[in-house]
Amino acid sequence: MSLAADTHQGSADPARGGSTGAPVDRRHQARRLTLVLAALLLVTSVTSLTFGAAGTSVWSALGDLVAGRELSQLDRIILFDIRLPRLCLGILVGAALAVSGVVMQGLFRNPLADPGIVGVSAGAGLAAITAIVLGSLLPAALRDTLGTGLVPVAAFFGGWGSTLILYRTATRGGQTSVATMLLAGIALGALAGALSGILVYMADDNQLRDLTFWGMGSLAGATWTKVLAALPVIGLALCAAPFLARGLNGLALGEAAAGHIGIPVQRVKNISIMAVAGATGAAVAVSGGIGFIGIVVPHLLRLSTGPDHHPLLPNAALLGATLLLAADMIARVIIAPAELPIGIVTAVLGAPVFLWILLKRRAGLGL
Amino acid sequence: MMGFISNLTRGVSLAFLAGSLAAAAPAERIVSVGGSVTEIVYALGEGHRLVARDSTSSYPPQAEALPNVGYARALSPEGVLSVDPDLIIASSGAGPLETLEVLKQANVAYSEVPEVYSADGVIQKIETIAEALGAGDKARALLDGIKHDLKAAQKDAAQRAGDTPVRVLFILSTQGGRIMAGGRDTAADGIIRMAGGINAVDSFDGYKPMTDEAVSATAPDVILAMDRGGDHGVAMEQLASLPALIPTPAAQNGRLVRMDGLSLLGFGPRTPETIQTLSRAFYEGHSK
Amino acid sequence: MKALDITVKLGNRTILHGVDFAAKPSRVTAIVGPNGSGKTTLLRAMTGEIAHSGRVLLNGQDTAKLKPWELAAIRAVQPQSTTIAFPFTVLEIVRLGLSSGLSAGESDLPLRALEAVDLGGFAGRYYQDLSGGEQQRVQLARVLTQVWEPVVDGSPRWLILDEPVASLDIGHQFTVMDLARRYAGAGGGVVAVMHDLNLTAMFADHVVLMQSGRIAAQGTPAEVLTDRTLAEVYGCPVPVNTTPPGGIPFLLPQARAVPVPA
Repeated sequence: MSLAADTHQGSADPARGGSTGAPVDRRHQARRLTLVLAALLLVTSVTSLTFGAAGTSVWSALGDLVAGRELSQLDRIILFDIRLPRLCLGILVGAALAVSGVVMQGLFRNPLADPGIVGVSAGAGLAAITAIVLGSLLPAALRDTLGTGLVPVAAFFGGWGSTLILYRTATRGGQTSVATMLLAGIALGALAGALSGILVYMADDNQLRDLTFWGMGSLAGATWTKVLAALPVIGLALCAAPFLARGLNGLALGEAAAGHIGIPVQRVKNISIMAVAGATGAAVAVSGGIGFIGIVVPHLLRLSTGPDHHPLLPNAALLGATLLLAADMIARVIIAPAELPIGIVTAVLGAPVFLWILLKRRAGLGL
Repeated sequence: MMGFISNLTRGVSLAFLAGSLAAAAPAERIVSVGGSVTEIVYALGEGHRLVARDSTSSYPPQAEALPNVGYARALSPEGVLSVDPDLIIASSGAGPLETLEVLKQANVAYSEVPEVYSADGVIQKIETIAEALGAGDKARALLDGIKHDLKAAQKDAAQRAGDTPVRVLFILSTQGGRIMAGGRDTAADGIIRMAGGINAVDSFDGYKPMTDEAVSATAPDVILAMDRGGDHGVAMEQLASLPALIPTPAAQNGRLVRMDGLSLLGFGPRTPETIQTLSRAFYEGHSK
Repeated sequence: MKALDITVKLGNRTILHGVDFAAKPSRVTAIVGPNGSGKTTLLRAMTGEIAHSGRVLLNGQDTAKLKPWELAAIRAVQPQSTTIAFPFTVLEIVRLGLSSGLSAGESDLPLRALEAVDLGGFAGRYYQDLSGGEQQRVQLARVLTQVWEPVVDGSPRWLILDEPVASLDIGHQFTVMDLARRYAGAGGGVVAVMHDLNLTAMFADHVVLMQSGRIAAQGTPAEVLTDRTLAEVYGCPVPVNTTPPGGIPFLLPQARAVPVPA
């Protein structure tokens, strides 16, 4: 049987010496990548426990423990109350943002979608600013109970609230239109921006500084409370990933065709939106506004092992966590003993990388 | 680690009692957070015991040689702990709360210094810091001197003001064309009054942005601003061109007084001197 | 496969007026008609893509009551054209057909399906780089992978094809239609919306001719494709079984069985 007479050239992939297209089955590559990324995450985690503004190193601490010596109180605090919760939070937030990015890009079938597209960032940000500027209006008892949790709790529920509004707007007769959601998201974002602007205008000097820092994101406030609060939400969202993988793959064919191959499209949409609202909402709540992870990580991975969501989702979680930990290490070491907000580091590193990706590999991205 | 959670629910406010924490043995590795706090430590002759300071501590110049733990409201726990402090003296408003919690857990002594914008406030600050440092005797001399100078400066200022005190508008910044002015209960308000002036803005508390019309309506005779470069350094030409200020007597007479931020608003040892300088500037001819 | 009293309204316009349609397994059923006659709309209504009134029965079961994966096990739908947002490879697209149904366990099906549509060796190519015709064949391979066995447990499975040969060259049009015939011959059901009347005549067992949202005629190709019927439905003379005047060459796919003179 002869091949078709088409001599249409596929994209010559320079990394593969000019052959047309990808290796026939990318799944093996992708699985290998998962192992590599897991190892990388492990190495990065250990490194993040080793380095910091203080001289404490996890290795010397292990040495102490093995030798039966008690850790100094400073070492104990630095390792267990500062670095370890920060490590856990960094992994959770990094994984949450990256996976949310993958899910949103798959759901909207658009490589430019970011996790906030369902409105969760706009709502969370507005709620956080409201808490910062108007927090003193709350009854003192409530404020005391929430303590440092006031802004995170507000941000979390704000994220959910705005997602709910978008969902209701876009869903008619049990069917969600992602196109409507996209447009409504733009409108909601504008409204949230306007309301935030009013609050910023009302803010006094201290509050302005506080909300500026919040907007730039930071893992410095990592506490075990935050880790334990974020873990179930983000964990649950990440667990939905395998189910979503099949659905998002099918959605690439279009919603009708996805339905024909047996995918419950509306259920996939519901779970995707809820997972992203939960994961991104929790991430933003505990660490403020951290950008670029949600957009860049999916692209980097698609370029290397393709858009199949089965390996893409776990790989995104691993790579997102690793990158965020790396960014955090830079943030807290580069101007020690002071600290850079982590959103600055991810932007400074992420933006050029993103531009480079766009320039070099436009064809491979589907853009 | 687990007791940490119960601490949080009990409320952070309980953790910090106003006042001081006397160190059992004199602390030798001190972190000072707050420009005036650092200044007072040096004024008490205890600057050699400092190991780090925050980003607002710009005076005296030796302070800038110390490691900088960052912005007072955004401290990082590991950063502060990395200089191995045994005492932290911080002006109220340092944060965030999570960092202060961890520092408390690390059993680093913490002394909170209240900010009150009056002559008594200055005295109280010096007393609090002196007690935290365990430098009660040295403080005597400094305190007596400052009490005397403060009284004299305020008396002179009142004299210069006479029956016609000037209306002063303090401008914190004009970023984005928006004038951020100092209202009641601010350091600016305090220093203006001590220097014999009237705060032209009395309709709100804190530093807030004001509408152009409201600014014009305050009709200040003098504009007071900080002289620090960046967006806080405001030149007369720039100010005079702002629509809100054009109709004001201050702009029309070119009366702008600029002064270094820390000495102006710090409410520390240089305050008596600041009061004198300001009141002269308000009442004895123009100063740019 | 039966569709009963299908009515589709779009806004104020009625596209389909109470259409009754039936297709039997082991046969290739072709739906033909002029543009705007409602062929694709009927197909879409029967596959549940658009809202309609009336009932659709597949293997005796009401499709409205079946879950998506239950339907997917019985029938596969090839769309007219598909754009993909991300750089999937051909193999990955075809493997999507495995997502459901009884074929889920077998992993060499996608490659066999690609061979069947004459795209063996294309597995590693990027879908978005292919020509329209190649992409259409990839979709067919995916659809085949989904319902590879024409008969399962005594129940026929169905290929629902929306203009499966529209962008293909003549050689591949044969490949695809032969494939459809073989599928029907083995007991499966094939329903295809067709544009090309010649191919319809060659390969279809049952032809449904539509006009303005109604069925104008149905039966065997010989019964439906008559001068009078076609002229009426298409609004222009479409002479059947007539050689053209003058020296214009004509190529009939039907003639492929005739040996080429040496």
